[in-house]
Amino acid sequence: MKFEELVRLIHFCKTIEKEGTDPFDLDVKKFLETLRRYHKKWKSLDDLLLDAEALAELAKVIELQGRWIKDRSSSFYIDPALLELKLRMLEPHQLATAFVRSWHPILAVDRITPQRLKEGLNYWNALLPLNERKEEFPLPSMLDTTFDLEDLIELNIISKSEFDESIQAVLNELEDRGRIEYHDFIYGDAFETSIIKAYLTSYLVSEGKAELDINPLEDEVFISPSNTKDNAKVNHTPGRSIPISLSYEDWLRWREKRNHGQEPNGR
Amino acid sequence: MEREEESRTRTERKVKKAAQLLFFRRHRIPGVKGWELKKALGDDYLAVLGVLNSALDRLGMEVKRISEEGAERGEGEGEEKTERDRFMIVLKDPVIEKASGERIDEVAMLAATLAYIISKQGKAPRKAVEDFLSEKFPKQRVFFALDRYIRQGYLGEDESVLYIGWRTRAEVDRKSLVDLILSS
Repeated sequence: MKFEELVRLIHFCKTIEKEGTDPFDLDVKKFLETLRRYHKKWKSLDDLLLDAEALAELAKVIELQGRWIKDRSSSFYIDPALLELKLRMLEPHQLATAFVRSWHPILAVDRITPQRLKEGLNYWNALLPLNERKEEFPLPSMLDTTFDLEDLIELNIISKSEFDESIQAVLNELEDRGRIEYHDFIYGDAFETSIIKAYLTSYLVSEGKAELDINPLEDEVFISPSNTKDNAKVNHTPGRSIPISLSYEDWLRWREKRNHGQEPNGR
Repeated sequence: MEREEESRTRTERKVKKAAQLLFFRRHRIPGVKGWELKKALGDDYLAVLGVLNSALDRLGMEVKRISEEGAERGEGEGEEKTERDRFMIVLKDPVIEKASGERIDEVAMLAATLAYIISKQGKAPRKAVEDFLSEKFPKQRVFFALDRYIRQGYLGEDESVLYIGWRTRAEVDRKSLVDLILSS
């Protein structure tokens, strides 16, 4: 119990130091009384170390309290709430103007001098050929982790429900259209949305909700919804990656073809 | 008379050398340390900088002195501290409207970030700054902008806490920025 209380106090002090919150949130008198209460109960070296750590953290917070008072009493003190409110109200151009008016940019010039050029040449001459310096450029090691959907969700770039809804919409469309040439399915009125659709479709294929049928001789790829709804759950065989090229030029060609009323493949 | 002439020539040479040392980048971070100036110009390097400063003043520039800890220093401070300080040339009174290729929204984000951090006594959790900026800009742009300000030296980051960087200390009159924002 005593450990828990002290660890909590130490943690609180560290939060104040790290996040810059009000150091007066800590009741110094109560902190010292707590330390005194436990003082005679300490037995082991660990107890004493914890006691010392708590005291050291308290000293740091007291120092912050001193600095806090000094800062607030100076003319430079601004009420954070007032400034925050003002920042929220101002337009970007007003903020930019305030910045430019208080900005004194550093003047620095980069220029190669003849002496430096000579040093560079000497360095080049002394440098061994690349194949003799392989150890300086080791091959990149494989990453242990990858950047996946969970990371994007964690970063608030997308939400899980939003993503699931988008995937379901693509699946519904595929089910409506049936077996179709991959590019005819992916490409739409805008290139950007086509890329997003390709990304979402890759999830459908990975999860076994859609199947790709590749004809390497004709250079054609067809996509169709999976026959069984539970395919994803049943099929546990390891998949393989299939790269399919998409480019802006290709999309332009596809759109031109469509606008000229040519029948898309596989429809 | 001849000695006086000699002394003037020597001072001129030193001032020219000081100007070149300060204007041309020798390190990743612009500016020159006090000890480097002392080594190149001699023990009277502060007096040489004084002469250079008066010449620069006529052109709207000045030599600025920044301490390692971030405080601006005036004259008459300890010798040891002065040698550790960084000296650089800054525009004193910008008379041109644009001195950077930054977009207006990027400058606005930087101004808001700096003012926000200043109001929190010089440091704030990165998450809090991100949330604050996301009210007006998309999250992804905020992430990239903060990373760029850190790379440029306007901000520093330590264990997900953002603080005022060396470049802001050198370039931005923080009091004036806050006053201008409050009076806008």
